[in-house]
Amino acid sequence: MRRETQNILLVLLGGALLKIAITGDYLRYVKPSQQPWIIGGGAVMVLLGVVAIGRDVLAGRHKGSGGPDHEHDHSTRSTWLLLVPVLAVFLVAPPALGSDSVTRTSASAPAGYAPSGQATFPPLPAGQVVPLAVADFVSRAGWDSTDSLRGRTVSLTGFVVHSRGRTLLARMVIGCCAADAFPVRVQLIGGQADPLPDDTWVRVTGQWVPGKGRSEFSYTPQLDVATLREIPQPRDPYEY
Amino acid sequence: MATVSDSAAGEAPGRPRKGRITSVEVLCVVLLLAIAGQSWLRAVLDVPALRTGATVFVAVCVQALPFLVLGVLISGAIAAFVPARVLRRVLPRNESAAVGVAGVSGIALAGCECASVPVARRLIGQGVAPAAALTFLLAAPAVNPVVLVATAVAFPGEPGMVLARFAGSLATAMVMGWLWIRWGKLEWIAERALRRLPDAEGGRDRWRTFAETARGDLVDAGGFLVLGALVSAALGVLVPDEWFGALGEQIVLGIVVMAVLAVVLSLCSEADAFVAASLSALPLLPRLVFLVVGPAIDAKLFALQAGTFGRSFAIRFAPATFVVATGCAVVAGLIFLGGVR
Repeated sequence: MRRETQNILLVLLGGALLKIAITGDYLRYVKPSQQPWIIGGGAVMVLLGVVAIGRDVLAGRHKGSGGPDHEHDHSTRSTWLLLVPVLAVFLVAPPALGSDSVTRTSASAPAGYAPSGQATFPPLPAGQVVPLAVADFVSRAGWDSTDSLRGRTVSLTGFVVHSRGRTLLARMVIGCCAADAFPVRVQLIGGQADPLPDDTWVRVTGQWVPGKGRSEFSYTPQLDVATLREIPQPRDPYEY
Repeated sequence: MATVSDSAAGEAPGRPRKGRITSVEVLCVVLLLAIAGQSWLRAVLDVPALRTGATVFVAVCVQALPFLVLGVLISGAIAAFVPARVLRRVLPRNESAAVGVAGVSGIALAGCECASVPVARRLIGQGVAPAAALTFLLAAPAVNPVVLVATAVAFPGEPGMVLARFAGSLATAMVMGWLWIRWGKLEWIAERALRRLPDAEGGRDRWRTFAETARGDLVDAGGFLVLGALVSAALGVLVPDEWFGALGEQIVLGIVVMAVLAVVLSLCSEADAFVAASLSALPLLPRLVFLVVGPAIDAKLFALQAGTFGRSFAIRFAPATFVVATGCAVVAGLIFLGGVR
């Protein structure tokens, strides 16, 4: 591959990183704290490409003035692969993980709580309706020895998934990037969400239905839904 | 690329002849085709499994590329500002001792595994003993403070996990270094990775060496990183999730499967602890194996190594690393976790 092509690819790839970092699309792929890294990495990539292009142009003008050193005379077919993420970001823009990942992965408990059996949680904040992260709701429902959810109305945000005849509210939790995502899920009781297609984002309020299977690895708590509202996909689709 | 007076001349000797197709034109055609076929491309990818795979692929790229950039910048800085004689003075002359120093100095580079490959290659290029450079390659992503803190956060109440991970990973790196001293052959490493850059003289010259080395390393390694991300995204979608579930009882099978899974998933070493923590159906020992093997060898690292050091190096080094890492993790787990648990 020619040097110019490599430089163009670097500029394109760096530009792709900068684009998703600035538009906020990066939140579909990685956690928010990665943003400075993506901007820095993208900027350096663009800079390396532009500097090399500039130097080549100058060197072309003053011929023989000792152009850049050519140490890469081996085959660089692999460099073509840099085009794949460029095309993926600019043309396809893959969406955030959704219902497919939820049905693909068997239930798993949020990190840290499940093995010890029971745990104590800080009391829920006061208020008629308590907004909670889905992961927090699942761990409190399954593993809280103080039963802090009992009798409280909570508000949860997530997307609808239909799986084995049940209607679930799910959310993906990521540690670093979407490759390590795992789902948390709550079964919705009451039927309001049944007609909604998969991947519809909703905000529901309701109360936890204490049931059997608590403290088990695959426990999916039930929520008796009081209100349900469709919402647009939040800017940040994951929990952390 | 040939060193001819016209720096633009790549494949063609002298000036490119008129009408000859160069990679620039190929790139333009590919880009135009892709833009024209955008809606078709989207329709093809609109299958749930492919969509998930595409998201994971982009996620791995977006997550790993900044660290690769960091790695090539360090590599460029070493080439431009650290003369080979300084490196030789810093490291002990005795190779076995140099391996020890390299392993411990891995604590200082707080990055993902992608950053350490170009750095290790540059160290070899600057005359550092390959055994020491390879030890650094394996130690840096696994024993740095960021990774250890992430492990402590993911396993609250299990300080033994952090200790065991640190010990297992450091042991893996050093054992591989010593194995290389005993059996390693320089000719396995591709000639291009061994090439010494002339020491840069003067300010402008140094900056040019810095930018050119970083650019070259990035172009070399970037494609392989993308290949690794593609493989891991494909396997991540294809490997059935039931692998995790039924393994709680069978400890040996659990260890083997978790080791293979670490290779397949190619997770960032700063995040793998959270994944391991979420697999709470498994005992701690297989999860420790997952954490020690992952940063040492995985699909994207194998691709990066093959691209940087050459294929005949990678097909020997990677399986050896896999076996050594699994063994070290089991031993470290038995010592620090006090058994399977």
